Amino acid sequence: MIIKNSTLSALDLSWILLMTITTANAFVAETAEPSLAITALICGSIAYKGRRIMDYFMELNHANSTIQFFMRSYFHVFPAMIFLSDLFSEELAALTAL
Amino acid sequence: MTITATDFNLNGSGTVTQEPETLNKIPGNRAVWVGIFAEMTEFALFFLVYFIAKAHYPEQFNQGPLKLNTLAGMLNTFALISSSYFVAKALAAIRINKPDQSIKWLWRAVCCGGIYLVIKVWEYHWNVGQGIETNTNKFYTMYYYMTFNHLLHVGWASGSLLWAIHQLKVGRYTQKNHLGFTAIACYWHMVDLAWVIIFPLLYVLR
Repeated sequence: MIIKNSTLSALDLSWILLMTITTANAFVAETAEPSLAITALICGSIAYKGRRIMDYFMELNHANSTIQFFMRSYFHVFPAMIFLSDLFSEELAALTAL
Repeated sequence: MTITATDFNLNGSGTVTQEPETLNKIPGNRAVWVGIFAEMTEFALFFLVYFIAKAHYPEQFNQGPLKLNTLAGMLNTFALISSSYFVAKALAAIRINKPDQSIKWLWRAVCCGGIYLVIKVWEYHWNVGQGIETNTNKFYTMYYYMTFNHLLHVGWASGSLLWAIHQLKVGRYTQKNHLGFTAIACYWHMVDLAWVIIFPLLYVLR
């Protein structure tokens, strides 16, 4: 695909990328067997999609640094927690048993 | 693959430096960000409960997503991403003093919100047909709790978009005064962001 001298904005490109990643995620859901590698891939896609929406749709990439920090942290922390809760599921179960 | 896009400007209208309302500022107003952080905290608690429940009932959380309608989840994600895109386009249009265009983009966003709600209601009916109900097991309890809560957010956020359309029509949101509109847009994007995590947790990851 070659797009030259277009007026494709960051918004348009973000929309295309987000739709593509979502389709890929759904394909993974339907076909792939669960594994840590798949979990890592999905966590990466969550972090990327979140960042893309925050930076270009929400326009946080040049906004107030405190808001930027907390919002970006959210999409670093939760994908990491998804992966870690999968990796250490037995330990988490033991830690939270009543 | 080569993509050479020449106009990578914020919202496709003007450069970042020409839009001082976004530079080092709080988008919208402080009040909406208090709301956004409160909502994000609420969803964070749901996610924590999900992690703990999954650790205790791995079999249910492994089998649960297989019985859900992935197509419905994917179409809902498309609807929310597209609606966020339309809202951002609407904001770009008002910045260049095109309220009519802004209203058109917002109607598209509202339609996407409506499509989301219709698909979700259809999905719940489909689930019941498959024997998936709130008390089927722990995974489906989490599924209904998270998705119904999110559905409520989409519902009232769609109402706020309708309010923005009304304000644009009566001329209260203009090129020079649209902070309320920006606040509504931020809230809508937050609803989209929550779904970005919910969709893979419930439909993709096992």
